[in-house]
Order: sequence, then structure tokens, then C-alpha cells
Amino acid sequence: MKAKILLAGTSVLFAAPLWADTLTINSFGGAYEEAHRACVIDPFTAATGADVSIVTAYSADAFAQLRAQKDAPQFDVIHFSGGQEIVGAKEGLLAPVDPAKLENIDQLYDIAKPNLAAGEGPAYSIAPVGILANSEAAEAPVSWAAMMKDADASHMVLTDISNGYGMLGFLMMNQVAGGSMEDIQPGLDAVTDLLERGTVIVSTSPEIQQEFAQNEAWVAPYAADYAFTLQQAGLPISFVNPEEGLPGSFITASIVAGRDNGDLAHRFLDIEISKAAQECMAQALRYTPTNREAELPEDVASTMVVGEEAVAKLIRFDPTTIEAKRSEWVDAWNRTIAR
Amino acid sequence: MTDRRENLLLLAPGLALLALAFILPIFRMLALSVQGEDGLTGAHFARFLGDPFYLGVLWRTVRLSLLITLICAVLGFPFAYIMARARPRLRTLLLIIVILPLMTSVVVRTFGWMVILSRNGILPEMLRDLGLAGRSFQLMRTETAIVLGMVQVLMPFMVLSILGVLARLDQRLEEAARTMGCSFLGALRHVVLPLSMPGIAVGAVLCFTLSASSFVTPNLLGGTRVQMLAASIYRAVTQTLDWNFAAAQSVILLVGILLVMAPYIVSQGRRHG
Repeated sequence: MKAKILLAGTSVLFAAPLWADTLTINSFGGAYEEAHRACVIDPFTAATGADVSIVTAYSADAFAQLRAQKDAPQFDVIHFSGGQEIVGAKEGLLAPVDPAKLENIDQLYDIAKPNLAAGEGPAYSIAPVGILANSEAAEAPVSWAAMMKDADASHMVLTDISNGYGMLGFLMMNQVAGGSMEDIQPGLDAVTDLLERGTVIVSTSPEIQQEFAQNEAWVAPYAADYAFTLQQAGLPISFVNPEEGLPGSFITASIVAGRDNGDLAHRFLDIEISKAAQECMAQALRYTPTNREAELPEDVASTMVVGEEAVAKLIRFDPTTIEAKRSEWVDAWNRTIAR
Repeated sequence: MTDRRENLLLLAPGLALLALAFILPIFRMLALSVQGEDGLTGAHFARFLGDPFYLGVLWRTVRLSLLITLICAVLGFPFAYIMARARPRLRTLLLIIVILPLMTSVVVRTFGWMVILSRNGILPEMLRDLGLAGRSFQLMRTETAIVLGMVQVLMPFMVLSILGVLARLDQRLEEAARTMGCSFLGALRHVVLPLSMPGIAVGAVLCFTLSASSFVTPNLLGGTRVQMLAASIYRAVTQTLDWNFAAAQSVILLVGILLVMAPYIVSQGRRHG
């Protein structure tokens, strides 16, 4: 890890003037924030001399803050995992990203940079959502359909769709159950069926860990990075890449409009999308890199969704539709799960 | 400088803080709650009041808050009575016991309940071993869990409110009742209880308002499937990003709490006025 930091640091050192400035960003807390600090923030500070002030806020909370601060924004760079950058860009909360200011931008897969000019920042990681399964307790389901139909529902944990991964898992279940982005009723019916058979719903990832560790959970649709977190906590969890494919959560970094250190923010983004930073993040957290130059050791890569081919096969539910319908869906979901 | 000016000067920082951090946001909330795309609207209130789902959330909030208040009163009254009659050392000990939950972080307290109430927790496991519950039985994420957790936090407010009244109560009144042939319980019921009503009323108002508006404990213990009003407001702010609707719900909560407090304020006004 140390060597990686040094590498990431030195690779940008020669190009950078020293800024005696502070950049305010959000990060997602916990192990993510630790890795974020080691792979991106520390190299950035080493390269530019600028301080980074971190506010811990998940995507939805961060976006609520961004909106509330519209007249006096407090963030310079903001990270989202639920497609909020698309809405943010539409509402003029985000500043355009200038590819000319990003040395590493050409190394990114095209799907990671669809709309930079509008303000939608590049994706620097993708978190694929598949099935987490306790491989010791029961045979892991090989597909979404098997999970919904055959797995013991009283040992299953679903995540509330207020959580980004929860939303993607639900949309995938909906698609497999015969629904579409226009019609989520099949998915809701599937959830009702699971709940009646004893499935538990949680709203945050630590609760998933708690259910696996203490309350005999065996199966949960969730992200690959969290499978790794659970493995590191000593739990016998494997990540299943289901037959029908798997949705991905694009973790993006965008530049906030109305702040006066855009150059520094671009510098931060450039380090974030660099080969070194992405390799570092992938090793620490098992996120899928979006930089095609990123190379991972075989034992790491074999447990992950990596490479141009695999990335192209990830399903991306249209974040614009998700954002447009979020309110309606959350409401329908709440009614479905309410006792 | 005159006395009045000095008084005003002393009051100023407090008033300024109150205006900035309390009155201003409340007016902003009131404004948001009636703000529509074209001018003033009552649509957000109509949406809440016309929807059985949200009315259900409101009803649960009221029902659980009443239940929590009732349990606090039933448990709190005897506790306060013993405290009032105990010797100073025992009283201090009891005082520490009753306010201990308030001195514990909400996270630690709630995790304690999780250990006891979740599927493999102590209580469900015991019930399972006794053959009284099925495999997936758990008390976490139920209304029971919310009530247990909230009673633990709110008990001190009830006990201390009643204690304040009982400590000033002339003990000879009780002795008189006993010499006139009243049993111990009879004296409690006919003399002590009626005289401690003001304390119970204060405690009840505190417990009700605090539990109706509390967010963290009900959310953690009740989970996403058992929603109360505060959680519903939180969802509208952070998830559906519908601030107008969130403001309308907040106003409904505020009005509800003011309605509960109104009889108390009026009666106090009469007593001292």
C-alpha cells in the first residue's frame, strides 16, 4: 500500500505547482474513506500541498446538502454512487469537467465519462451488485431467479431502496421477475412474497454485516466490495456473479459549481481516475476500475468483475430514469414493506 | 443605564440565538409547507391527510407515544414515591440508576437492545428454547422494540417530574390518612396520587412530545418497516427530496404536539395567573 501511495504521489509530483489551499470533499466513511484517503487524498496532498477536508456523507445525504447549499456551496469535489451527478448537473449545481485538464481521461472506458461537459463527473470505480452468499451454510444461488424462488427466504436480507445498492439489487430482481423501468410492480410483488416468507429488510450496510454475523443470514443481494468487507471480517461470504448479469453502481467525482478552485478540483479528479489510484482502490476495496490500464494481481482479479469485456457486460440501469422515478418508487416501496 | 436596558442587554444574546436557530427555521418550515409550484397551496397537507398510508404513520406515532407515556407513568410513579420516601443515600443511588440511560450514548444504548432483541438475541432465543416462538421470531424491528427503547430513555423525565412534586408533599397528609383507617395502597390512591397529578402531567407532556418527535431510537429499533412520523419526514428530506411535503409533515407534528401541550399551558396559566 505504501509503495502504491508513493507511486501515485511521484507520478504527478513533477507536473504540479504547490497550492496552499483547501479542497472540501465528501467521502463515504468507514473502510471506504480509509482507502480513499490512502489511494487518492494523501497522494493528492503530497502532489499539490493542498489540504483536503473530508465530510462523511453518503450520496443521498451529500446531494441533499449540495442542494441546500445552492447559494453558498461548501463542497469542491463531490462523490456520488447513485447517479445523483446527472440531476445535479441538470440543476446547475455542478461545473463542467474539462477533459483538457485531465491527463488520465483518455485511459477511461467510454461508459465512465458519458457527459463531462454537462458537469457529470467521471466514474472512477464501479461497484457491481450481485449476490452475497454464506457458502458454508447453504448452496449459493447461481442466478437472481434461483435466489428469489428457491433460496430459503427466512435467511435472506434485502436492503432498502433508499440505499443505492439496494435500489440496483431491487431493479435487477424486478427485471428478472418480468418488470421494467416503467413497471416495478413485478419486483414489488417478489419482495412481498419474500417478506411473507421471513426475509428481513435493513437500510444500511453495517446492518447486513450484523445479520450475517449474528442472525443467520445466508443470502443478500449487494455489492462486490461489501462481500470483501465481510470476508475481511472473517465471515465465509462469497460473491456470486449471477447468470442473468449484474447491475453496477458508478462511483463518480464531480466538480461543484460556484467554487473558486476549479483547477485544484480538476487536479483531484485527475489523480482519482489515474491508474495508480484505481489499482489501489481496487486492491483495498474490490471496486471495478474504470481505467483500462489498471492491472491487478491474479488472485485479486479472479474474485472481481474486471476488464473491458466484463465491464461492458455490466447492466447500467439508467440513472436519469432512476432519479426521475426515485420519489415515486420509494413511496411505492415504503407502502409495500410497511407493516 | 436603567435596569430595563441592562436586562435587555443580558437577554440579547439568548434572544438572538433563539431567533436565528429556532424562530427563523420554523417560519421557513411553515413557508415551505404551503409553497406550491404556483403560489400558496394546501396540496401537501391534503396529500398527507388524504392518504391512509400516512394517516397510518401518524396514528402509529400517536398510539406508540401514548403507550410509552402510559408505561412511563405506571413505572415512574412508584419509583418516584420510593425515591421521595427513601433516605438520602438510597435516593442518590436510585437517582443515578434512573438517569443512567440518559448518560449513555444513544448508539451504545440501542446496540444493547439489539443484542437482547434481535433474532439470535437473548430474549427471542429464550422464548424459542421454551417453545414459545418460531425460528425467525425476533423483537428487533417491531413496535415492541420501539416502546422498550423509548421507555428506557424517557423514564427519567417522568420520575424526576413526579419526584419534584412528591418531595414537597407534606408527609403528615399521608399519615393522617393512615390514622383515619386508610390502607397503605388506599392512602397512595386517595391522597398521594391526586396530589402528585401536576408532576405526572408535566412528565406526561415531556414523554409524549419527546417520543412523538424522536427519530434515532425508533428508527434504529423499529427499522424501515415500522415507520413513525419523524422517520417519514427524514425520508422525504433525504430520499424523495420532497422538502415541501417534509415541511407539511413537520407542521402536522408540531401542531399535534402543541395541541397536546395546550391544555397543560392553559391550566398552568390559570393556576399562576
